[in-house]
Amino acid sequence: MSLLEIRGLTKAFAGTTVLDGVDLDVEAGSVTVLVGPSGSGKSTLLRCINHLETPDAGTIEVDGSLVAYRRDGDVLRELPERTIAAQRRRIGMVFQQFQLFGHMTALANVVEAPIGVLGVPRREALERGRALLARVGLAGREDAYPRQLSGGQQQRVAIARALAMEPTLMLFDEPTSALDPALVGEVLEVLRDLAAGGTTMVVVTHEIAFAREVADTVVVLQDGRIARSGPPSEVLDDRSVRVA
Amino acid sequence: MTSLIAPEAPSPSPPRTVGSRHVGRWVWAVVVLVLVVWALRSVALNPAFGWGTVAQYVLTPSVLRGLATTLLLTLATTVVGFLLGIGLAAMRLSGNPVLSSVSWAYVWLFRSTPLLVQLLFWYNVGALYPQLSLGIPFGPTFFSVESVNLVSVLVAALLGLILHEAAYAAEIVRGGILSVDAGQSEAAVSLGMTRARVLRRIVLPQAMRSIIPATGNMVIGTLKGTSIVSVIAVTDLLYSVQTIYNRTYEIIPLLLVATVWYVILTSILSVGQYYVERYYARGAERTLPPTPLQRLRRWFS
Repeated sequence: MSLLEIRGLTKAFAGTTVLDGVDLDVEAGSVTVLVGPSGSGKSTLLRCINHLETPDAGTIEVDGSLVAYRRDGDVLRELPERTIAAQRRRIGMVFQQFQLFGHMTALANVVEAPIGVLGVPRREALERGRALLARVGLAGREDAYPRQLSGGQQQRVAIARALAMEPTLMLFDEPTSALDPALVGEVLEVLRDLAAGGTTMVVVTHEIAFAREVADTVVVLQDGRIARSGPPSEVLDDRSVRVA
Repeated sequence: MTSLIAPEAPSPSPPRTVGSRHVGRWVWAVVVLVLVVWALRSVALNPAFGWGTVAQYVLTPSVLRGLATTLLLTLATTVVGFLLGIGLAAMRLSGNPVLSSVSWAYVWLFRSTPLLVQLLFWYNVGALYPQLSLGIPFGPTFFSVESVNLVSVLVAALLGLILHEAAYAAEIVRGGILSVDAGQSEAAVSLGMTRARVLRRIVLPQAMRSIIPATGNMVIGTLKGTSIVSVIAVTDLLYSVQTIYNRTYEIIPLLLVATVWYVILTSILSVGQYYVERYYARGAERTLPPTPLQRLRRWFS
Protein backbone atom coordinates (compact mmCIF):
# COMPACT_ATOMS: atom_id res chain seq x y z
CA MET A 1 0.00 0.00 0.00
CA SER A 2 1.24 3.47 -0.86
CA LEU A 3 1.89 6.11 1.81
CA LEU A 4 -0.26 8.60 -0.10
CA GLU A 5 -3.23 7.49 -2.20
CA ILE A 6 -5.37 9.98 -4.09
CA ARG A 7 -8.43 8.79 -6.01
CA GLY A 8 -10.70 10.87 -8.25
CA LEU A 9 -9.75 14.21 -6.66
CA THR A 10 -11.94 16.95 -8.10
CA LYS A 11 -12.01 20.64 -7.25
CA ALA A 12 -13.56 23.69 -8.91
CA PHE A 13 -13.13 27.36 -8.00
CA ALA A 14 -16.22 29.42 -8.88
CA GLY A 15 -17.22 27.10 -11.72
CA THR A 16 -13.70 26.64 -13.14
CA THR A 17 -12.51 23.06 -12.80
CA VAL A 18 -8.99 23.06 -11.35
CA LEU A 19 -8.63 19.36 -10.57
CA ASP A 20 -10.53 16.86 -12.66
CA GLY A 21 -10.42 13.35 -11.24
CA VAL A 22 -6.76 13.09 -10.23
CA ASP A 23 -5.37 9.71 -9.15
CA LEU A 24 -1.92 9.64 -7.56
CA ASP A 25 0.13 7.14 -5.55
CA VAL A 26 3.25 8.05 -3.61
CA GLU A 27 5.34 5.25 -2.13
CA ALA A 28 6.99 5.64 1.26
CA GLY A 29 10.54 6.98 0.90
CA SER A 30 10.03 8.20 -2.66
CA VAL A 31 10.28 11.65 -4.20
CA THR A 32 7.43 12.74 -6.47
CA VAL A 33 7.83 15.95 -8.45
CA LEU A 34 4.73 17.68 -9.80
CA VAL A 35 5.32 19.79 -12.89
CA GLY A 36 3.12 21.45 -15.46
CA PRO A 37 2.20 24.89 -16.81
CA SER A 38 0.95 27.49 -14.30
CA GLY A 39 -2.75 27.13 -13.64
CA SER A 40 -2.61 23.39 -14.23
CA GLY A 41 -3.63 22.66 -10.62
CA LYS A 42 -0.29 21.62 -9.08
CA SER A 43 -0.51 23.83 -6.01
CA THR A 44 -4.21 23.09 -5.49
CA LEU A 45 -3.47 19.36 -5.57
CA LEU A 46 -0.74 19.81 -2.98
CA ARG A 47 -2.91 22.04 -0.76
CA CYS A 48 -5.74 19.49 -0.84
CA ILE A 49 -3.42 16.88 0.67
CA ASN A 50 -3.28 18.68 4.04
CA HIS A 51 -6.77 20.15 3.64
CA LEU A 52 -5.77 23.78 3.11
CA GLU A 53 -8.19 23.48 0.18
CA THR A 54 -11.47 21.60 0.41
CA PRO A 55 -11.94 19.15 -2.45
CA ASP A 56 -15.36 18.77 -4.08
CA ALA A 57 -15.03 15.02 -4.54
CA GLY A 58 -12.47 12.26 -4.28
CA THR A 59 -10.44 10.68 -1.52
CA ILE A 60 -6.99 11.38 -0.07
CA GLU A 61 -5.47 8.76 2.20
CA VAL A 62 -2.21 9.16 4.07
CA ASP A 63 -0.87 6.05 5.76
CA GLY A 64 -4.15 4.26 5.18
CA SER A 65 -6.49 6.82 6.76
CA LEU A 66 -8.66 9.41 5.04
CA VAL A 67 -7.46 13.00 5.49
CA ALA A 68 -10.06 15.37 6.99
CA TYR A 69 -13.07 13.15 6.22
CA ARG A 70 -14.84 10.00 7.29
CA ARG A 71 -16.75 7.81 4.91
CA ASP A 72 -20.49 7.74 5.48
CA GLY A 73 -22.18 5.59 2.82
CA ASP A 74 -21.41 7.29 -0.48
CA VAL A 75 -20.47 10.70 0.96
CA LEU A 76 -17.43 11.98 2.85
CA ARG A 77 -18.21 13.95 5.99
CA GLU A 78 -15.68 16.55 7.14
CA LEU A 79 -14.09 15.73 10.50
CA PRO A 80 -14.02 18.18 13.44
CA GLU A 81 -11.23 20.77 13.47
CA ARG A 82 -9.23 19.09 16.25
CA THR A 83 -9.08 15.78 14.40
CA ILE A 84 -7.91 17.46 11.20
CA ALA A 85 -5.29 19.37 13.23
CA ALA A 86 -4.04 16.06 14.62
CA GLN A 87 -3.79 14.58 11.11
CA ARG A 88 -1.86 17.60 9.85
CA ARG A 89 0.93 16.96 12.37
CA ARG A 90 2.02 14.03 10.19
CA ILE A 91 2.06 16.13 7.01
CA GLY A 92 4.76 18.78 6.75
CA MET A 93 4.34 21.71 4.38
CA VAL A 94 6.81 24.23 2.97
CA PHE A 95 5.42 27.31 1.22
CA GLN A 96 6.61 29.41 -1.68
CA GLN A 97 6.67 32.54 0.51
CA PHE A 98 8.34 30.76 3.50
CA GLN A 99 5.74 32.06 5.98
CA LEU A 100 8.07 32.01 8.94
CA PHE A 101 6.45 33.54 12.03
CA GLY A 102 7.88 37.04 11.92
CA HIS A 103 7.75 37.72 15.66
CA MET A 104 9.82 34.66 16.55
CA THR A 105 13.50 33.82 16.16
CA ALA A 106 14.57 30.99 13.85
CA LEU A 107 14.82 28.56 16.77
CA ALA A 108 11.47 29.67 18.23
CA ASN A 109 9.86 29.08 14.82
CA VAL A 110 11.18 25.52 14.80
CA VAL A 111 10.17 24.59 18.37
CA GLU A 112 6.80 26.38 18.52
CA ALA A 113 4.67 23.47 17.28
CA PRO A 114 6.63 20.61 18.91
CA ILE A 115 6.24 22.30 22.31
CA GLY A 116 2.76 23.76 21.84
CA VAL A 117 1.11 21.03 19.80
CA LEU A 118 2.99 17.80 20.54
CA GLY A 119 3.87 18.69 24.15
CA VAL A 120 7.56 17.89 23.74
CA PRO A 121 9.47 19.07 26.85
CA ARG A 122 11.05 22.47 26.23
CA ARG A 123 14.67 21.46 26.79
CA GLU A 124 14.36 18.45 24.49
CA ALA A 125 12.57 20.49 21.79
CA LEU A 126 15.26 23.19 21.88
CA GLU A 127 18.01 20.60 21.59
CA ARG A 128 16.33 18.96 18.60
CA GLY A 129 15.55 22.36 17.10
CA ARG A 130 19.23 23.33 17.21
CA ALA A 131 20.17 20.03 15.60
CA LEU A 132 17.62 20.57 12.81
CA LEU A 133 18.87 24.10 12.13
CA ALA A 134 22.39 22.69 11.95
CA ARG A 135 21.18 20.03 9.53
CA VAL A 136 19.88 22.72 7.12
CA GLY A 137 23.18 24.60 7.48
CA LEU A 138 22.04 27.32 9.88
CA ALA A 139 23.99 26.54 13.05
CA GLY A 140 24.74 29.86 14.75
CA ARG A 141 21.66 31.64 13.36
CA GLU A 142 19.24 30.33 16.01
CA ASP A 143 18.53 33.78 17.44
CA ALA A 144 18.07 35.60 14.14
CA TYR A 145 14.62 36.89 13.28
CA PRO A 146 13.26 35.95 9.84
CA ARG A 147 13.74 39.49 8.54
CA GLN A 148 17.44 39.28 9.36
CA LEU A 149 17.84 36.20 7.14
CA SER A 150 18.14 35.92 3.37
CA GLY A 151 15.34 34.24 1.42
CA GLY A 152 17.31 31.02 1.09
CA GLN A 153 18.04 30.96 4.82
CA GLN A 154 14.38 31.64 5.64
CA GLN A 155 13.27 28.78 3.43
CA ARG A 156 15.75 26.45 5.12
CA VAL A 157 14.36 27.47 8.55
CA ALA A 158 10.88 26.75 7.18
CA ILE A 159 12.01 23.27 6.15
CA ALA A 160 13.51 22.68 9.63
CA ARG A 161 10.23 23.89 11.17
CA ALA A 162 8.24 21.34 9.17
CA LEU A 163 10.71 18.55 9.93
CA ALA A 164 10.51 19.28 13.67
CA MET A 165 7.06 17.63 13.71
CA GLU A 166 8.63 14.42 12.36
CA PRO A 167 6.09 14.15 9.54
CA THR A 168 5.63 10.99 7.50
CA LEU A 169 5.08 13.08 4.37
CA MET A 170 6.61 16.39 3.31
CA LEU A 171 4.90 18.73 0.83
CA PHE A 172 6.86 21.47 -0.95
CA ASP A 173 4.88 24.15 -2.79
CA GLU A 174 7.31 25.81 -5.23
CA PRO A 175 9.97 26.11 -2.51
CA THR A 176 12.46 28.01 -4.70
CA SER A 177 10.15 30.19 -6.83
CA ALA A 178 10.42 33.24 -4.56
CA LEU A 179 14.21 33.09 -4.33
CA ASP A 180 16.99 34.95 -6.12
CA PRO A 181 18.60 32.58 -8.64
CA ALA A 182 21.80 32.64 -6.57
CA LEU A 183 19.94 31.29 -3.51
CA VAL A 184 18.03 28.46 -5.22
CA GLY A 185 20.97 26.07 -4.96
CA GLU A 186 21.24 26.08 -1.16
CA VAL A 187 17.55 25.15 -0.77
CA LEU A 188 17.69 22.42 -3.41
CA GLU A 189 20.76 21.09 -1.61
CA VAL A 190 18.64 20.59 1.53
CA LEU A 191 15.92 18.88 -0.53
CA ARG A 192 18.51 16.56 -2.08
CA ASP A 193 19.81 15.72 1.39
CA LEU A 194 16.27 14.92 2.63
CA ALA A 195 15.58 12.74 -0.43
CA ALA A 196 18.80 10.83 0.15
CA GLY A 197 17.75 10.34 3.79
CA GLY A 198 14.55 8.60 2.73
CA THR A 199 11.99 11.36 3.46
CA THR A 200 8.78 10.90 1.48
CA MET A 201 8.35 14.10 -0.51
CA VAL A 202 5.91 15.63 -2.96
CA VAL A 203 7.46 18.69 -4.62
CA VAL A 204 5.79 21.22 -6.88
CA THR A 205 8.57 22.94 -8.82
CA HIS A 206 9.69 24.46 -12.09
CA GLU A 207 13.27 23.24 -11.54
CA ILE A 208 13.38 20.57 -14.26
CA ALA A 209 17.05 19.81 -13.64
CA PHE A 210 16.25 19.10 -10.00
CA ALA A 211 13.35 16.83 -11.03
CA ARG A 212 15.60 14.91 -13.39
CA GLU A 213 18.22 14.40 -10.71
CA VAL A 214 16.18 13.69 -7.57
CA ALA A 215 12.67 12.54 -8.53
CA ASP A 216 11.64 8.89 -8.51
CA THR A 217 8.43 9.85 -10.27
CA VAL A 218 7.62 12.93 -12.31
CA VAL A 219 3.93 13.76 -12.66
CA VAL A 220 2.84 16.22 -15.33
CA LEU A 221 -0.43 18.03 -14.68
CA GLN A 222 -2.31 19.68 -17.49
CA ASP A 223 -5.74 21.32 -17.19
CA GLY A 224 -6.39 19.56 -13.89
CA ARG A 225 -5.53 16.10 -15.15
CA ILE A 226 -2.46 13.95 -15.01
CA ALA A 227 -1.07 14.10 -18.55
CA ARG A 228 1.93 11.90 -17.92
CA SER A 229 3.53 10.11 -15.03
CA GLY A 230 6.66 8.00 -14.71
CA PRO A 231 10.42 8.03 -14.14
CA PRO A 232 12.05 11.37 -15.02
CA SER A 233 14.03 9.97 -17.95
CA GLU A 234 10.82 8.86 -19.69
CA VAL A 235 8.60 11.83 -18.87
CA LEU A 236 10.99 14.77 -19.19
CA ASP A 237 12.38 13.69 -22.55
CA ASP A 238 8.94 13.16 -24.04
CA ARG A 239 8.49 16.16 -26.34
CA SER A 240 4.69 15.66 -26.47
CA VAL A 241 4.08 16.92 -22.92
CA ARG A 242 4.48 20.48 -21.62
CA VAL A 243 6.34 20.34 -18.35
CA ALA A 244 6.45 24.07 -17.63
CA MET B 1 41.69 78.58 -32.89
CA THR B 2 40.99 76.85 -29.62
CA SER B 3 41.82 73.29 -29.11
CA LEU B 4 38.94 70.84 -28.69
CA ILE B 5 40.99 68.93 -26.22
CA ALA B 6 40.99 70.49 -22.76
CA PRO B 7 44.45 71.54 -21.68
CA GLU B 8 45.89 69.34 -19.02
CA ALA B 9 45.50 71.55 -15.94
CA PRO B 10 46.95 70.52 -12.62
CA SER B 11 43.81 69.22 -10.80
CA PRO B 12 43.39 70.72 -7.30
CA SER B 13 41.22 69.00 -4.67
CA PRO B 14 37.54 68.94 -5.83
CA PRO B 15 35.43 71.95 -4.68
CA ARG B 16 33.73 71.36 -1.35
CA THR B 17 29.95 71.78 -0.98
CA VAL B 18 28.20 74.25 1.34
CA GLY B 19 24.58 73.67 2.45
CA SER B 20 21.83 76.26 2.04
CA ARG B 21 21.54 78.77 4.94
CA HIS B 22 17.76 78.33 5.24
CA VAL B 23 17.05 82.00 5.99
CA GLY B 24 13.29 81.36 6.11
CA ARG B 25 13.72 78.75 8.83
CA TRP B 26 15.57 81.20 11.06
CA VAL B 27 12.93 83.90 10.60
CA TRP B 28 10.06 81.58 11.43
CA ALA B 29 11.86 80.07 14.39
CA VAL B 30 12.36 83.53 15.91
CA VAL B 31 8.74 84.59 15.25
CA VAL B 32 7.31 81.43 16.83
CA LEU B 33 9.69 81.53 19.80
CA VAL B 34 8.68 85.11 20.57
CA LEU B 35 4.99 84.09 20.51
CA VAL B 36 5.65 81.10 22.79
CA VAL B 37 7.58 83.18 25.33
CA TRP B 38 4.87 85.82 25.30
CA ALA B 39 2.15 83.20 25.91
CA LEU B 40 4.09 81.47 28.71
CA ARG B 41 4.80 84.80 30.38
CA SER B 42 1.13 85.76 30.35
CA VAL B 43 0.09 82.39 31.80
CA ALA B 44 2.69 82.64 34.54
CA LEU B 45 2.05 86.26 35.50
CA ASN B 46 -1.75 86.54 35.16
CA PRO B 47 -2.96 86.31 38.78
CA ALA B 48 -6.35 84.92 37.61
CA PHE B 49 -4.67 81.56 36.93
CA GLY B 50 -4.08 81.32 40.68
CA TRP B 51 -1.00 79.12 40.61
CA GLY B 52 -0.71 79.43 44.38
CA THR B 53 -4.18 77.93 44.77
CA VAL B 54 -3.28 75.17 42.28
CA ALA B 55 -0.27 74.21 44.40
CA GLN B 56 -2.42 74.27 47.50
CA TYR B 57 -5.00 71.80 46.15
CA VAL B 58 -3.05 69.54 43.81
CA LEU B 59 -2.20 67.00 46.53
CA THR B 60 -5.27 67.26 48.80
CA PRO B 61 -6.81 63.90 49.79
CA SER B 62 -10.13 64.44 48.00
CA VAL B 63 -8.34 65.27 44.73
CA LEU B 64 -6.11 62.22 45.13
CA ARG B 65 -9.15 60.03 45.80
CA GLY B 66 -10.76 61.38 42.64
CA LEU B 67 -7.52 60.66 40.79
CA ALA B 68 -7.60 57.06 42.07
CA THR B 69 -11.18 56.66 40.79
CA THR B 70 -10.19 58.04 37.40
CA LEU B 71 -7.27 55.60 37.23
CA LEU B 72 -9.48 52.68 38.27
CA LEU B 73 -12.08 53.56 35.63
CA THR B 74 -9.41 53.90 32.94
CA LEU B 75 -7.72 50.62 33.84
CA ALA B 76 -10.93 48.59 34.13
CA THR B 77 -12.39 50.09 30.96
CA THR B 78 -9.25 49.42 28.95
CA VAL B 79 -8.60 45.89 30.18
CA VAL B 80 -12.17 44.56 30.14
CA GLY B 81 -13.09 46.60 27.05
CA PHE B 82 -10.22 45.11 25.09
CA LEU B 83 -10.89 41.55 26.27
CA LEU B 84 -14.47 41.95 25.03
CA GLY B 85 -13.13 43.61 21.89
CA ILE B 86 -10.89 40.62 21.11
CA GLY B 87 -13.90 38.34 21.54
CA LEU B 88 -16.04 40.55 19.29
CA ALA B 89 -13.32 40.68 16.64
CA ALA B 90 -12.94 36.88 16.73
CA MET B 91 -16.73 36.54 16.38
CA ARG B 92 -16.80 38.98 13.49
CA LEU B 93 -14.06 37.09 11.62
CA SER B 94 -15.44 33.62 12.39
CA GLY B 95 -17.17 31.50 9.79
CA ASN B 96 -20.35 31.46 11.86
CA PRO B 97 -22.83 33.88 10.23
CA VAL B 98 -24.83 34.36 13.44
CA LEU B 99 -21.77 35.25 15.56
CA SER B 100 -20.45 37.48 12.82
CA SER B 101 -23.75 39.37 12.45
CA VAL B 102 -24.24 39.77 16.19
CA SER B 103 -20.73 41.20 16.52
CA TRP B 104 -21.38 43.58 13.64
CA ALA B 105 -24.68 44.69 15.17
CA TYR B 106 -23.06 45.26 18.58
CA VAL B 107 -20.39 47.51 17.10
CA TRP B 108 -22.97 49.31 15.00
CA LEU B 109 -25.24 49.99 17.99
CA PHE B 110 -22.58 51.06 20.49
CA ARG B 111 -20.80 53.29 18.01
CA SER B 112 -24.07 54.88 16.94
CA THR B 113 -25.00 56.37 20.31
CA PRO B 114 -23.08 58.99 22.30
CA LEU B 115 -21.25 57.70 25.36
CA LEU B 116 -23.09 60.24 27.50
CA VAL B 117 -26.46 58.83 26.41
CA GLN B 118 -25.30 55.28 27.16
CA LEU B 119 -24.11 56.33 30.63
CA LEU B 120 -27.48 57.93 31.39
CA PHE B 121 -29.18 54.71 30.24
CA TRP B 122 -27.16 52.58 32.66
CA TYR B 123 -27.68 55.14 35.41
CA ASN B 124 -31.42 54.72 34.94
CA VAL B 125 -31.39 50.98 34.25
CA GLY B 126 -33.67 50.47 37.26
CA ALA B 127 -36.48 52.05 35.28
CA LEU B 128 -36.05 49.49 32.47
CA TYR B 129 -35.41 46.41 34.58
CA PRO B 130 -36.45 47.00 38.20
CA GLN B 131 -35.19 43.51 39.11
CA LEU B 132 -32.08 41.73 37.89
CA SER B 133 -32.00 37.93 38.16
CA LEU B 134 -29.39 35.27 37.66
CA GLY B 135 -30.68 32.14 35.95
CA ILE B 136 -30.96 30.31 32.66
CA PRO B 137 -32.62 32.23 29.78
CA PHE B 138 -36.24 31.03 29.43
CA GLY B 139 -35.46 28.66 32.36
CA PRO B 140 -35.32 28.72 36.15
CA THR B 141 -34.10 31.72 38.15
CA PHE B 142 -31.52 31.26 40.90
CA PHE B 143 -31.79 34.63 42.63
CA SER B 144 -32.74 38.20 41.90
CA VAL B 145 -31.92 41.63 43.30
CA GLU B 146 -33.30 45.14 42.97
CA SER B 147 -31.46 46.94 40.18
CA VAL B 148 -30.95 50.09 42.24
CA ASN B 149 -29.07 48.06 44.83
CA LEU B 150 -26.78 46.37 42.32
CA VAL B 151 -26.15 49.15 39.83
CA SER B 152 -24.49 51.89 41.87
CA VAL B 153 -23.29 54.98 40.05
CA LEU B 154 -19.82 53.45 39.84
CA VAL B 155 -21.17 50.23 38.30
CA ALA B 156 -23.29 52.24 35.88
CA ALA B 157 -20.19 54.22 34.89
CA LEU B 158 -18.12 51.05 34.42
CA LEU B 159 -20.83 49.33 32.36
CA GLY B 160 -21.25 52.35 30.11
CA LEU B 161 -17.53 52.92 29.60
CA ILE B 162 -16.63 49.24 29.10
CA LEU B 163 -19.41 48.36 26.65
CA HIS B 164 -18.67 51.51 24.64
CA GLU B 165 -14.92 50.81 24.66
CA ALA B 166 -15.48 47.19 23.54
CA ALA B 167 -17.11 48.34 20.29
CA TYR B 168 -14.12 50.51 19.36
CA ALA B 169 -11.59 47.95 20.60
CA ALA B 170 -13.26 45.29 18.41
CA GLU B 171 -12.59 47.37 15.31
CA ILE B 172 -8.98 48.06 16.32
CA VAL B 173 -8.31 44.37 16.96
CA ARG B 174 -10.09 43.31 13.77
CA GLY B 175 -7.98 45.73 11.75
CA GLY B 176 -4.84 44.35 13.38
CA ILE B 177 -5.79 40.74 12.63
CA LEU B 178 -6.54 41.59 9.00
CA SER B 179 -3.09 43.19 8.69
CA VAL B 180 -1.40 39.81 9.25
CA ASP B 181 -0.76 37.80 6.06
CA ALA B 182 -3.26 34.93 5.71
CA GLY B 183 -0.29 32.71 4.82
CA GLN B 184 0.82 32.91 8.47
CA SER B 185 -2.38 31.15 9.54
CA GLU B 186 -1.97 28.54 6.79
CA ALA B 187 1.58 27.82 7.91
CA ALA B 188 0.41 27.51 11.51
CA VAL B 189 -2.55 25.18 10.83
CA SER B 190 -0.38 23.01 8.62
CA LEU B 191 1.80 22.45 11.71
CA GLY B 192 -1.27 20.98 13.40
CA MET B 193 -2.33 24.02 15.44
CA THR B 194 -6.01 24.64 16.16
CA ARG B 195 -7.54 27.94 15.06
CA ALA B 196 -7.72 29.21 18.65
CA ARG B 197 -4.02 28.48 19.13
CA VAL B 198 -3.15 30.13 15.80
CA LEU B 199 -4.97 33.29 16.89
CA ARG B 200 -3.28 33.37 20.30
CA ARG B 201 0.28 32.41 19.39
CA ILE B 202 0.76 33.50 15.78
CA VAL B 203 -1.77 36.10 14.60
CA LEU B 204 -2.44 38.30 17.65
CA PRO B 205 1.24 38.87 18.57
CA GLN B 206 1.92 40.08 15.03
CA ALA B 207 -1.33 42.05 14.91
CA MET B 208 -0.16 43.93 18.04
CA ARG B 209 2.19 46.00 15.93
CA SER B 210 -0.70 47.77 14.27
CA ILE B 211 -3.03 47.44 17.29
CA ILE B 212 -0.74 49.26 19.76
CA PRO B 213 -0.68 52.77 18.23
CA ALA B 214 -4.47 52.80 17.88
CA THR B 215 -4.77 51.41 21.40
CA GLY B 216 -2.49 54.11 22.77
CA ASN B 217 -4.88 56.64 21.29
CA MET B 218 -7.82 54.77 22.83
CA VAL B 219 -6.31 54.58 26.34
CA ILE B 220 -5.48 58.28 26.35
CA GLY B 221 -8.94 59.04 25.01
CA THR B 222 -10.47 56.81 27.69
CA LEU B 223 -8.45 58.48 30.48
CA LYS B 224 -9.82 61.87 29.53
CA GLY B 225 -13.19 60.44 28.49
CA THR B 226 -13.79 59.12 32.00
CA SER B 227 -14.35 62.75 33.06
CA ILE B 228 -17.78 62.38 31.44
CA VAL B 229 -18.89 60.19 34.36
CA SER B 230 -18.92 63.29 36.57
CA VAL B 231 -22.38 63.99 35.13
CA ILE B 232 -23.77 60.94 36.91
CA ALA B 233 -22.01 62.00 40.14
CA VAL B 234 -19.15 59.52 40.12
CA THR B 235 -16.42 61.13 42.25
CA ASP B 236 -13.67 61.01 39.64
CA LEU B 237 -10.90 63.61 39.29
CA LEU B 238 -13.07 66.20 37.57
CA TYR B 239 -16.01 65.70 39.96
CA SER B 240 -13.66 66.08 42.96
CA VAL B 241 -12.35 69.46 41.85
CA GLN B 242 -15.88 70.55 40.93
CA THR B 243 -16.99 69.72 44.46
CA ILE B 244 -14.25 71.96 45.81
CA TYR B 245 -14.83 74.94 43.51
CA ASN B 246 -18.58 74.78 44.11
CA ARG B 247 -17.64 75.62 47.69
CA THR B 248 -14.73 78.06 47.16
CA TYR B 249 -15.56 79.54 43.71
CA GLU B 250 -11.89 79.14 42.65
CA ILE B 251 -13.02 77.66 39.37
CA ILE B 252 -9.98 78.26 37.14
CA PRO B 253 -7.28 77.15 39.62
CA LEU B 254 -9.17 73.95 40.41
CA LEU B 255 -9.75 73.14 36.75
CA LEU B 256 -5.98 73.61 36.40
CA VAL B 257 -5.47 71.07 39.20
CA ALA B 258 -7.42 68.51 37.15
CA THR B 259 -5.57 69.60 33.98
CA VAL B 260 -2.16 69.11 35.60
CA TRP B 261 -3.08 65.56 36.62
CA TYR B 262 -4.55 64.68 33.22
CA VAL B 263 -1.39 65.97 31.51
CA ILE B 264 0.88 64.00 33.87
CA LEU B 265 -1.07 60.76 33.34
CA THR B 266 -1.26 61.21 29.57
CA SER B 267 2.49 61.83 29.44
CA ILE B 268 3.18 58.64 31.40
CA LEU B 269 0.90 56.70 29.04
CA SER B 270 2.66 58.11 25.98
CA VAL B 271 6.04 56.99 27.29
CA GLY B 272 4.57 53.57 28.09
CA GLN B 273 3.18 53.31 24.56
CA TYR B 274 6.63 54.00 23.11
CA TYR B 275 8.15 51.08 24.98
CA VAL B 276 5.26 48.68 24.28
CA GLU B 277 5.52 49.52 20.57
CA ARG B 278 9.24 48.81 20.72
CA TYR B 279 8.58 45.43 22.32
CA TYR B 280 6.19 44.36 19.58
CA ALA B 281 8.52 45.63 16.85
CA ARG B 282 10.77 42.61 17.59
CA GLY B 283 11.41 40.87 14.33
CA ALA B 284 9.57 43.53 12.35
CA GLU B 285 12.67 45.66 11.98
CA ARG B 286 16.19 44.49 11.35
CA THR B 287 17.62 46.51 14.22
CA LEU B 288 15.71 48.52 16.79
CA PRO B 289 16.63 52.21 17.06
CA PRO B 290 18.05 53.20 20.48
CA THR B 291 15.60 54.49 23.09
CA PRO B 292 15.79 58.21 24.01
CA LEU B 293 17.53 57.17 27.27
CA GLN B 294 20.13 55.13 25.42
CA ARG B 295 20.63 58.02 23.01
CA LEU B 296 21.12 60.41 25.94
CA ARG B 297 23.67 58.11 27.54
CA ARG B 298 25.55 57.73 24.27
CA TRP B 299 25.60 61.53 23.96
CA PHE B 300 27.34 61.96 27.31
CA SER B 301 29.72 59.02 27.06
